[in-house]
Amino acid sequence: MSGEEQDLAKDLGPLAALTIGVGTMIGAGIFVLPGEAILRSGSLASIAFLLGGVIAMFTALSASELGTAMPRSGGAYYYVNHALGPLFGSVAGWANWLGLAFASAFYMVGFGRYINRIFGVTGDLALGPLSIPYVTVTALAGGAFFVAVNYIGAKETGRLQNIIVILLVAILAVFTLLGTFRADPSNLPDARSVVDTLETTGLIFVSYLGFVQITSVAEEIKNPGRNLPRAVIGSVVLVTVIYALVLIVMSAAVPKGFIADTVTGDPNSIAVVEVGEYLQGAVMGGALLFGGLLATASSANASILASSRINFAMGRDRIVTPKLNEIHGRFGTPYRSIAITGGLILFFILVGNLTLLSGAASGLHLVIYGLLNVALIVMRYVNPEEYAPDFTVPLYPLLPLCGIVFSFALLAFVETDALIVTFSITGAAVLWYIVYARSRTEKQGIIGQYILNRTEEMPDAAVSAAAGVQPDGGDYRVMVPLANPEHEQDLVELGGTIAKQRGGTLVLAHITKVPDQIALPQAADYADELDESTEEILAAAEADAESFDIPVETHRILSHRGFEEIFDAARTHDADLTVMGWGPDSHGSPGRAESAFDDVAGDIPCDFLVLKDRGFDPSKVLVPTAGGPDSDLSASVARYLRAKYESEITLLHVADGDDDVTRTEAETFLDTWADEHDLGDATQRVETGDVETAIEQAAEDASMVIIGATEQGLLSRLVSGSLVLDVVDDVDCSVLLAEKYRKRSLRERLFG
Amino acid sequence: MTDLFDRVLLPVASPEDARTTCRAAREYLTGSATAVHVIEKAGGAPDKAGVEQREEYAQECFDAFTDCLDDGREIETEIRYGTDVADTIFQAATDHDATAIVITPRGGSRWVRLLTGDVALDIVTETDRPVVVLPDVAHEDEAEVAESEGGDGT
Repeated sequence: MSGEEQDLAKDLGPLAALTIGVGTMIGAGIFVLPGEAILRSGSLASIAFLLGGVIAMFTALSASELGTAMPRSGGAYYYVNHALGPLFGSVAGWANWLGLAFASAFYMVGFGRYINRIFGVTGDLALGPLSIPYVTVTALAGGAFFVAVNYIGAKETGRLQNIIVILLVAILAVFTLLGTFRADPSNLPDARSVVDTLETTGLIFVSYLGFVQITSVAEEIKNPGRNLPRAVIGSVVLVTVIYALVLIVMSAAVPKGFIADTVTGDPNSIAVVEVGEYLQGAVMGGALLFGGLLATASSANASILASSRINFAMGRDRIVTPKLNEIHGRFGTPYRSIAITGGLILFFILVGNLTLLSGAASGLHLVIYGLLNVALIVMRYVNPEEYAPDFTVPLYPLLPLCGIVFSFALLAFVETDALIVTFSITGAAVLWYIVYARSRTEKQGIIGQYILNRTEEMPDAAVSAAAGVQPDGGDYRVMVPLANPEHEQDLVELGGTIAKQRGGTLVLAHITKVPDQIALPQAADYADELDESTEEILAAAEADAESFDIPVETHRILSHRGFEEIFDAARTHDADLTVMGWGPDSHGSPGRAESAFDDVAGDIPCDFLVLKDRGFDPSKVLVPTAGGPDSDLSASVARYLRAKYESEITLLHVADGDDDVTRTEAETFLDTWADEHDLGDATQRVETGDVETAIEQAAEDASMVIIGATEQGLLSRLVSGSLVLDVVDDVDCSVLLAEKYRKRSLRERLFG
Repeated sequence: MTDLFDRVLLPVASPEDARTTCRAAREYLTGSATAVHVIEKAGGAPDKAGVEQREEYAQECFDAFTDCLDDGREIETEIRYGTDVADTIFQAATDHDATAIVITPRGGSRWVRLLTGDVALDIVTETDRPVVVLPDVAHEDEAEVAESEGGDGT
């Protein structure tokens, strides 16, 4: 993109960016909540709003820094996902999306109140046995209208939002100015307790969501390095001042008890409008009514737009299906995302009351705000090369820490119902990650990368926690632990062949055994001296893998243990298949590690292929089978070899007895098995008698034998010298042992 | 006299539109050709979809066009940004010194055209250079492909 086109793509000026924030926030703060706030906390209502502004400001500073460093679509979700990884990304994404839907529902209920106040509609609409308050009906209609507008994508002219916001600010300025002449401290209602005030802050915090929406359109802001922090911080300052002043006027300029009387007396009354009418007559009342309509509408509209950006960013990272973000061929809008968000909004309007809606929106955003500040600290601490924010948070790390503490602490003062909704959604988002997103998303968080690249230095608990929640992205990862330079080439060849055909990644790991006397963090410093060949081996293996043209990762692992470390490495690096060598030169002698094997036998972390290398020659492959999951793996490997090397495959099945019936059964079994495993054209051979002898005889014509482990753990068999091992020793060609990863229940693990 | 199809500009609005345009135009594409997708900007308000999202969408349109060419030919592609789609297309035509703008009508009811704005009409009525309107020549098999891909295509 040329510089000029960049300018065209980024057409939100400083005023437009500011008004997105102010426009989204002011609708809720002034036009819906003041009556409720004064009822709850009396003269401290203004303080409650001020406190909300201060808490929001900590996060606004962090959001500004992250926004200038990463001006990407999706805003808060993107930063959290980028820094903390997709587990927290899933939480932030869902919280942001649903939080905006709750907020939009809340704005629409406010909108409904204004419409009803204007037309003097009260009461319920009776629908057979059901009765719905008219305010809900109007809210639903309003919600449906704004969803439809966004679905079709009616063209909005750039200045409309600016005009609305300037108009609103002007109306409120006149209201405040004229109100102060009438203000008298003796009018102030009694102050309530600190807890009441904090609970009020929890309720009205929905008035401070808008500034984050600025970051979700950060990619469209002109000169974001300068304009984004100004808009984010400026909008919070502006609305906080307006809220505080308007609240003071509303409590001090009208007789004591005015608010309580009007709000509780007439169900259709709206505090700010009644105060305006009382103080400055019908003109001000009308202006405030009109302003309320505009404000709640523009808040909802901006929130619906912002939520589709978050959906897009989530879909791009595969936290949700990208199908959600399909663009309409005609309207050019992400119509599915908007339709689903719209459905949620209408549902929330129907089931939630005003306090639940605002509480849930506040609670969910407080979770995001907390995580956003954590994300900032992570980015600063890890300090990746590409992290170069134009704006930096002053007094780091004090202010972001305050942001974390206050955001999470304020959660305690959110209404119980709303809090339950908040935590349910957070919990569901974690589950969503584990069940759905983990196998799909590929993006790794900065913090996860940081920990997993320093497995030696980091505490074990941190490493396993980080490894435990890593995304696996559906990427098929073949790990090849390297030890013996002689056989390394064959292992890389085999692993690369499989990774290539599965479209996966090859992970080369060199495990350096460190003498027990040396602590691991120190060993890291002396690693090169401890094992000078490491770099050489990894470089050679990488060169061998180059010809496959697949993604290759290399890792060096320091460990006191040799062989067992492979298991840990397979888990840490999320391997789907481990291809390793076996023999006197590989990874320590099995005898020494015997006790360790007994512990892990049968509990392997992924599929395993163990190569007894007598020269890698896959021209004639023998696959003995008796069925079972392990022979499924040997069949797959045989297919991969056939595809790459045009191997001749012979399938061998040893029948139980010598009679004709058993023989026919055996032939039928092998035939079916071959078809099921896509090996129908392979030579089929049915033998009788001793299994070992039969395999050994058949192996005389083969260049490689692929044997599946039987139901018992392969690795315990390696040690105990049972059937499989005898075959390995008695045949002359290379032998590949295959054992498939089985998900076993805890009970099976304990007693199996 | 220069040939009408020497340097053509092919506006594509959606993957479906790209396929239709390509089917109709491919036998005429003897000279140079540029497919252009305009990302409509609100000009100071948040757009109806994010820019990154619409840049991905533009790529889908171009891919649909190239896939449909099916003879390995490459055409130039360009993303443009503007508040008025037709004006932006004219600007692109001027910049490329295009000999003609080639479009296929997208049909649609009067309501849809009213809601989305009739870009084709603007192109035909406000143009300063030849506009070639080609009929959609859907072959049956290709129409099925387009349909099975969901019309709008992803």
